[in-house]
Amino acid sequence: MAVATIETSGLTRSYGEICALKPIDLSVPEGEWLSVMGHSGSGKSTLMNLVGGLDRPTAGALVVGGQDLSTLTEDGLARFRREYVGIIFQQHHLVPYLSALENVMLSQYFHSVPDEAEARHALERVGLGHRLKNRPGELSGGEQQRVCIARAIINSPKLLLGDEPTGNLDHKSTLMVMELLKELRAEERFTVVMVTHNEEVAAWGDRTIYLTDGVLVREERTRS
Amino acid sequence: MLIRILKNSFLKRPKSVLLVLLSITMGAAVATAFLGIAGEVSHKMALELRSYGANILLEPTALEGGGYLREDDLPKIKTVFWKYNITGFTPYLFGVADLAAAGRHERSVVAGTWFSKEVQVPGEESTEQGIKGMAPWWDLKGRWPEAADEAIVGAALARRLKLVQGSELAATVRGTVQRFRVCGVVTTGGFEEEQLFAPLVTVQQLLGQQGKISRVLVSALTVPMDDFGRKDPSTMTKDEYEKWYCTAYVTSVAKNVEEVMSGSRAKPIWQIASAEGALLTKLNAVMLLLTLLALGASATAVSTSLMASMAERSPEIALMKAMGADRFQISSIFLGEILIISVVGGLIGYLIGNQLAALISHTVFNSTIASPLWLIPMAVGSAFLVACAGSIAPLRRALLIEPVRVLKG
Ligand SMILES: Nc1ncnc2c1ncn2[C@@H]1O[C@H](COP(=O)(O)OP(=O)(O)OP(=O)(O)O)[C@@H](O)[C@H]1O
Ligand SMILES: [Mg+2]
Repeated sequence: MAVATIETSGLTRSYGEICALKPIDLSVPEGEWLSVMGHSGSGKSTLMNLVGGLDRPTAGALVVGGQDLSTLTEDGLARFRREYVGIIFQQHHLVPYLSALENVMLSQYFHSVPDEAEARHALERVGLGHRLKNRPGELSGGEQQRVCIARAIINSPKLLLGDEPTGNLDHKSTLMVMELLKELRAEERFTVVMVTHNEEVAAWGDRTIYLTDGVLVREERTRS
Repeated sequence: MLIRILKNSFLKRPKSVLLVLLSITMGAAVATAFLGIAGEVSHKMALELRSYGANILLEPTALEGGGYLREDDLPKIKTVFWKYNITGFTPYLFGVADLAAAGRHERSVVAGTWFSKEVQVPGEESTEQGIKGMAPWWDLKGRWPEAADEAIVGAALARRLKLVQGSELAATVRGTVQRFRVCGVVTTGGFEEEQLFAPLVTVQQLLGQQGKISRVLVSALTVPMDDFGRKDPSTMTKDEYEKWYCTAYVTSVAKNVEEVMSGSRAKPIWQIASAEGALLTKLNAVMLLLTLLALGASATAVSTSLMASMAERSPEIALMKAMGADRFQISSIFLGEILIISVVGGLIGYLIGNQLAALISHTVFNSTIASPLWLIPMAVGSAFLVACAGSIAPLRRALLIEPVRVLKG
């Protein structure tokens, strides 16, 4: 029996009157690839932000990687994020004035010390060895998303989060990114939680959960 | 890495960086200019104030029995430790004489003095000493006496004796008669209007007091009295006394002069000395206040422009936070930027402020000054202070950014 990486019970997040996440009990074993689906506004991002230590629950228990996130301070959460989590967003959030290489190194800088060789290697792994010096504005959407992936995995996170990482990509780029993530997971053995609207993308995971209005309504195992 | 971040951030956002730089530079420039001319302004002001009358009075120690000072000692005043602070001195010899003019008689005070006399001290440039230089507020109708038998008379005395420029009068003391030609009538608003002023030598002969004087008025540049200056020198330790002696308090300058005039006692003329001190203290306070106001204004400008650039940069900050940057790391990036901008701004501000100070002192005082070098660290320091003060609010705002809200997926 694998150790649970993510363990929630009665996890709730509400914004005043609006309850974005009704009490949710969820357990994600180490190394699992979990896909999260649901219509717009169903609370997918809310769940992901909580798990990634970007947001705090209003109620309930949330233990990630053995750490009770609700007990951490602001800086404690920041530390948790940089040491434990890699995040990929739908919009390729990169620092516009830094090159691809520097964007990856920025993550190393916050984590420990920048290592240019390692950062270059990470970009080579995502197939961008030839675009190191380019700034985000000079890269295509798929390329930018691959820079984000390189940045997310550079500090060897235990947990990789994706909030619709392929949402803005065409079919071909999507396949390329998914293929890449699968390869990387095979090497690094991190746990994946990925929010998506796309059944096909969800099928890359081991298990898919469905949210409706903040409630976990259904879950299903993918045939391997 | 920090340097790389800063370099790229500067190169990529030249406009907002320049805006902040401009605010900081202005603050540093104004501070430099003000502090640069502050010393000059105080000095000029002190000189200016010196024209409102002497601030030290020298009298004979033995007032009773008609004590006198020696005229021969006078040039020594220009040899004392504080000689360059002494802007002028005038000796007086007073006596009472019977004045007679065109059939009118009156007993009146006759003052022998220097109007404008060249004083030569070995090894020093010769200087002009006397009433003319020390009492610019005297309103003289006519001209200053030049010949030994010329005199000026106070306006009140002139009215009573019906004296005008060109009149003649005779002064008699114990049978000695001296004839004077009136070359001017003086209005001062004070007791001088009751007296006759004539060259010192002439009055000495008339009174039979050759080589003697009864008081000296000294005008000296001094620093405002403080608590230390008010201490009694006779109770001071050797070191304290030395420090007191080497500070241009009106009391220490008085002491200085007293030492060279045999048989004299020097007293500060407090109504002048303390008013002057108070004025100079206030002037310095005003200069300092203006400098602080200028710095405050530029801090506000820095804050505003940083706020604007912070709004533009919030996605970037949110991203850094999402990547796990803590408050210290975020702050160090922004403070690093601020540090660089303020060093540059401080240096540019110094150069501009320097020019500004030169321009002000040229137009206002018609003199040239060189700003002291210590103003460089001062300018950079104040630029940094301004920058820090100006970045408090923007930095707080940056630290309050919630990545989830900005990076909505
Ligand atoms: N800061 C907020 N203040 C108030 N309500 C919010 C806030 N953030 C999210 N919500 C609400 O919480 C609910 C869940 O939002 P969430 O972003 O998790 O949806 P989602 O499933 O990610 O949707 P999408 O697929 O469109 O990204 C929505 O109804 C949303 O309006
Ligand atoms: Mg979402």
